[in-house]
Amino acid sequence: MKKTLIILLVFIMSVPVLSACWNQKELTDLAFVMALGIDRGEDDLYHISFQLVNPGNVSAGQTGGGQGLPIAVYKSNGRTMTEAARNATKEVSRRLYYAHTNLVVISEDVARDRNLMLNLLDAFARDPEFRTTTELVIARDSTAEEIVTTLTILDKLPVTKVTKEIKFTEAMKGENKSVNIDEIIDGITGNGKEPIANGYRLIGMKEEASKATNLQKTTTDAFLAADGLAVFKDGALIDWIESNKSRGIIWVLDKAKSTDITLKWKGKKNALSIVPIRSKTKVSTIFKKGKPVINVKIENEGWISEANTAINLMDPKTIIKIEKLTENEIKKEVKSSVKEAQRLKCDIFGFGDIVHKANPKVWRKLKGNWNNYFADIEVNVKVNSYVRREGVRTNPFWSDINK
Amino acid sequence: MSILSKMLKNKQKKRQDDNYRQKQDPLKPEDLPILRDFQENISRIKEEVGNSSDVNIREFKIGTHKGALVYVDGLASSIAIADYILETVMEAEVPEGPVDIFQFMLDKTMALGSVKTIDNWNQVYDSLFSGDTVIFLQGSNKAISGETKGWERRSITEPTTQLSIRGPKDSFTETLRTNTALIRRRIKSPNLRVDSMKIGAVSQSDIAILYIKGIANEKIVGEVKERLQRINIDSILGSGYLEQLIEDQTWTTFPTTYHSERPDVVTSHLLEGRIAIVVDGTPFVVTVPAIFIQFFQAPDDYYSRFDISTGIRLLRILAFLIAVIGPSVYIAATTFHQEMIPTTMAIAIASQRENVPFPAFVEALIMEVTFEILREAGLRLPRAVGQAVSIVGALVIGQAAVQAGFVSPVMVIVVSITAIANFSTPVFAMAIAARLVRFVLMGLATMLGFYGIMLGIMFMSIHLCSLRSFGIPYMMPLAPFNLRNQQDAFVRFPIWAMKNRPMFISKGNMQRTGENQKPGPPKQSENQSKNGEE
Repeated sequence: MKKTLIILLVFIMSVPVLSACWNQKELTDLAFVMALGIDRGEDDLYHISFQLVNPGNVSAGQTGGGQGLPIAVYKSNGRTMTEAARNATKEVSRRLYYAHTNLVVISEDVARDRNLMLNLLDAFARDPEFRTTTELVIARDSTAEEIVTTLTILDKLPVTKVTKEIKFTEAMKGENKSVNIDEIIDGITGNGKEPIANGYRLIGMKEEASKATNLQKTTTDAFLAADGLAVFKDGALIDWIESNKSRGIIWVLDKAKSTDITLKWKGKKNALSIVPIRSKTKVSTIFKKGKPVINVKIENEGWISEANTAINLMDPKTIIKIEKLTENEIKKEVKSSVKEAQRLKCDIFGFGDIVHKANPKVWRKLKGNWNNYFADIEVNVKVNSYVRREGVRTNPFWSDINK
Repeated sequence: MSILSKMLKNKQKKRQDDNYRQKQDPLKPEDLPILRDFQENISRIKEEVGNSSDVNIREFKIGTHKGALVYVDGLASSIAIADYILETVMEAEVPEGPVDIFQFMLDKTMALGSVKTIDNWNQVYDSLFSGDTVIFLQGSNKAISGETKGWERRSITEPTTQLSIRGPKDSFTETLRTNTALIRRRIKSPNLRVDSMKIGAVSQSDIAILYIKGIANEKIVGEVKERLQRINIDSILGSGYLEQLIEDQTWTTFPTTYHSERPDVVTSHLLEGRIAIVVDGTPFVVTVPAIFIQFFQAPDDYYSRFDISTGIRLLRILAFLIAVIGPSVYIAATTFHQEMIPTTMAIAIASQRENVPFPAFVEALIMEVTFEILREAGLRLPRAVGQAVSIVGALVIGQAAVQAGFVSPVMVIVVSITAIANFSTPVFAMAIAARLVRFVLMGLATMLGFYGIMLGIMFMSIHLCSLRSFGIPYMMPLAPFNLRNQQDAFVRFPIWAMKNRPMFISKGNMQRTGENQKPGPPKQSENQSKNGEE
């Protein structure tokens, strides 16, 4: 009796082992899809470009030759994402693997079509391999395929260039913001905030972009650069906000870490340059006669990185004046950004969410027509700016020249 | 496994029965009394040892009485025999008239420290083969055994397998008495008990059981003695034999007894209430009961400060984990969970594996097995050719295999890290267990990825928790959890804070340190009063 039990137990215990190597995939059988480029093909088909990494040509180990190109791009068509992806297997010798996909490029064409755009997002969100934290950009004045096929010089992997560049420019300039698929989906499904995405542009001679010769110059013939923010409404791209107006958006969204502010001083243009080092934005709402009014409060610390005029920086009064000027400058930028968004009738700042949190009852009434309401909402901007230091110099040499 | 053990048990039983019939083996002389006729006795010895050349018999005369002394050449010190027995015997002036020559000899001629009267053959052979000299006298049915032990013994040297930086540099030798003396010298208390025993029907090996009365748990002492007495075997050639005969569980790779060649370690175990078993002929002393965490305690943990030793102990546990799961994590990550590897690293690994002809598991297995072969070869090799192995190993595995593209450089890194981590376990018995478990986990990782590794670790944990060492749960003080015993588990408390001996292992006197032992500068008030006195 005991013996049979033991034998039975051994059988039962070997069941999980018998399924042997389920889901096993060797590293050498995988093709890492680094980036996806989605264009509109003929007959409303998706035209998808898969940017695959060629591992042997990327790392500089003993075995890696580094001879060929680091990436290879395959293209396929399909009515859906899945169909296109499966069609691609006819061309690629390995299993397409999406867990390391870092970038999705969508052409403006597709982004402007609500249907095409929304059909994409479910595929991204549903696939267990694909990460919804993947960066999403919109190809501007170029096809997604062109963006995906471009080679970059500093980074071997073009994807690294794009994702890192967005992160650094977000921190250092504040005109673009890292946006991932999750945020896009959140924005589309929610009422109180509309999504934005980065625009990306291929600048230069487009036909040179995907050639190895493009890598053999210090100034490449074609390169990628972020350009403007795409504004989405009802799940489709409606318009662009250009770089000069996009900085205010980043300020309001509290994503600005550093940037540069150029000031006029006593009639001289471009006299001072202020670089914020810390910035904190608080958005709140108050209700005036049941109507929400938005208060944006920005606290900001910075230093003087340039002083191209005779100015006495040792005088605290001057510093206070500079602080005032900085405040006005920031305020102006934020206001213009808000105005731009109001013109588009698109609440990209998430003011709706703030109203929702502050007063759910009022929100319920406004919810249905929020974007129209947003267009006329009163927005107060208050900026507190502090100049903490003036670099390793005190007074500029301009003061000595004039003496 | 259990079926196998059952079968083995049945076989063993049969064999035991057979053995039992032969148990009264002819090799062992019966408890016969010594005869009055000494010539008879002498010829009996000659006959029984088959005229072995190393058994020396020297006849002599004391007064008018005939006698003979018997000793084993090489075991007994010939100088001691010549100076302290023969010389005194020959110069002795036997008084006139009737005299009890046996008593006279015992009283006047044996200038030795330990002299015994024996009266049966068992004792004769016992003394003879432990290096003593046996003296037969005409007309006496007793014999004298004088202690003349003096064989060549290895001197005390530095420990070779358990090194320490600040600890003492002596280690046990093959001689039982030297070993007990090394311990006795460290514990100068009458409570240190040394019980002796002989095990092995043929080898008659001497065994000493050491414990401190009042600190050791009497129940466990009783259990140890009982298990030792139950042993019925022809010989015990080392403490390793003994371990396997008295451990609680055979079907495990984890050691449930501890062994050490360091007297300081054994002494500290005795002071924790453990029991030491010294076997003649082995420089390794066994201590029981042994718990899991004990195998991660190195002697230097106690010689250096608590913060440092805690850090190092945690490092050792981490190293043990690496040694167990290192290659399996590599296999699981590269064949199942590529998404868990950071992108750049995944690409780097992929580029290295691009030209490797084998799947990750086979690659890992080849490397691990090669390394194990290398290690084993290095261990068994004559010292003179040892260098050849290391050169061939480093060149062939480290470079040629990678350059030829048979294995990836990452695999070499994984194998090296695993190997080095494995060496950092202070006790070899535990390190070797990690080696075995590693291969099982590698197999599981190949089939089921991290899920398989988790399954393996779960089974291992359950198994570890089910183990007992002389009734003490192996995973004490973690499972069952015991707050008081945490003082020497993962974190080693400062010496003054390690107030108690481990529970269950020790019974009776549990207190180790007195109250208020925390050191520090004298308190302000005391200082002032002292200054005032001056």
